[in-house]
Amino acid sequence: MAIKISQLFIPAITSALFGTAFAQAPAAAPSPAPAAPPASTFAAANLTPLGVRSLAANCAACHGTNGNSVGGAVGGLAGLDKDYFVNQMKLFKEGKREATLMHQISKGYSDAEISAMAGFFSTQKK
Amino acid sequence: MESAITNSTNGRRTFLKNSAALGGVAAASGCATIGSTGPKVVVVGGGYGGATVAKYIKMWGPNIDVTMIERNAEFVSCPMSNLVLGGSQSMKDITLSYDTLQKKYGIKMVRGEASAIDPDKKIVRLASGESIPFDRVIVSPGIDFMYDLLPGLNNAAAQDRVLHAWKAGPQTLALRQQLESMADGGVVAISITEAPYRCPPGPYERACQIAAYLKQSKPKSKVLILDANMDIISKPGLFKKAFAEMYPGMIEYRPNSKVVDVDVRTMTAKLEVEDVKADVLNVLPPMKAGAIANSFITANKRWCEINWLTYEAKNVPGVHLLGDALQIAPLMPKSAHMANAHGKACAAAVVALLSGEQPNLSPTLTNTCYSFVSAEKAVHVASIHKYDEKDKTMKSVPGAGGVSISASELEGQYAMTWAKNIWADSLG
Repeated sequence: MAIKISQLFIPAITSALFGTAFAQAPAAAPSPAPAAPPASTFAAANLTPLGVRSLAANCAACHGTNGNSVGGAVGGLAGLDKDYFVNQMKLFKEGKREATLMHQISKGYSDAEISAMAGFFSTQKK
Repeated sequence: MESAITNSTNGRRTFLKNSAALGGVAAASGCATIGSTGPKVVVVGGGYGGATVAKYIKMWGPNIDVTMIERNAEFVSCPMSNLVLGGSQSMKDITLSYDTLQKKYGIKMVRGEASAIDPDKKIVRLASGESIPFDRVIVSPGIDFMYDLLPGLNNAAAQDRVLHAWKAGPQTLALRQQLESMADGGVVAISITEAPYRCPPGPYERACQIAAYLKQSKPKSKVLILDANMDIISKPGLFKKAFAEMYPGMIEYRPNSKVVDVDVRTMTAKLEVEDVKADVLNVLPPMKAGAIANSFITANKRWCEINWLTYEAKNVPGVHLLGDALQIAPLMPKSAHMANAHGKACAAAVVALLSGEQPNLSPTLTNTCYSFVSAEKAVHVASIHKYDEKDKTMKSVPGAGGVSISASELEGQYAMTWAKNIWADSLG
């Protein structure tokens, strides 16, 4: 029962969030509508040092270059304890830490990616 | 001639490999040299995309010689520029210097207008007659307006009166002055072109900011949104709520209202079936990739298609492109945040290619667009995009990303910090 509900519920939520939130898709974009969710064809995560550096660079726009925030309402990530980072991201993902945005962003990264980014930021100088 | 070019290319390749190897040693020992004889990268355009790619190439490949060509002396941010219209920010607040890129990162700045990119001779020509050689060129040209599609606006005098203010700078201030000069009871019309255009939520944020100013200073006035699209393009629920609850009776939203021409003399926007007169007319014209990228436009005669692993033009390898000029991947916005993310992904690819290494085969891009619905309250839309091996494009990760539950002052504070951090991340 629970599985059935989530199968129905998740696509509905996703389409509510994205269906009209962006309408900037190229006109020629194909619109796959299979009955079952398609198998992911995302490339396997690149967890080499250079891959992780690029992954972590995504955080910089809000949290500062290499996790050094210029201050204000958004905290820095540089020098954070690795386990603390992993745990906070887990709490965001599970909806257990209150957030305006990070509960949505955290879901875009796998546990392995989060662990690798935690390692990266823990070694960045503040 | 052919063989001469080939020979010099081969010579350069060998040289690149050697200098990249030396550079690697220099970087590892922490004594990177500025102005070295490493491979030459020329970045055309110093907006969010261009500034970011230039900085990150120097961070990640200190031996690489980076020159950035930019027409303006200072960086003026499009994000937050609507707050100048609303009156809570000044031009000074959104204007930044290129000094750090030069002094801290050793990027050579050339102030001028790039007039041509020659991928065969590997030079960028400037309007001044100068030419700058490159091993790889990165073009971050932003957007140009297609005034030929709006005949009444297709001359400089008309464009001085009916503003776009869609490239932050003198037009931002000029539009603010038009709002200040308008009598109470006037109508401000904002015309939005069909998507895709730069900054999907921007026009609706602008409507809120102009309404915020009018509510305070000219409460009998109105904001009329003439949208060529069939609904609000970004965060529709949040914007409709803001229009209704924060500016009741003040903002009128009209979907399916494509402006096909403008009569500047009478300040009239001509729609397909009716004419709309306004006191201040703000027209966002149809947009395309900036003209310097014309020879790399492959999609819809407007946008540039790329290889999402290397950011190289689909039609010309060795020429990299990024930012609003790209034919976007599905659900990817043309935003400053995305241009900043393109800049880092492109920097990683260029550094790898110049070192003879494989680029990242699994790039990830994150986007967050904040919009201020008043001077203090903001809303967001966020998404994460990963490389899809099968379709060779970026796709948004299902179940991740989303929009605000409601507008809040807390998100307003986050939005302000976002601006400060993305400015520092792009410019120094």
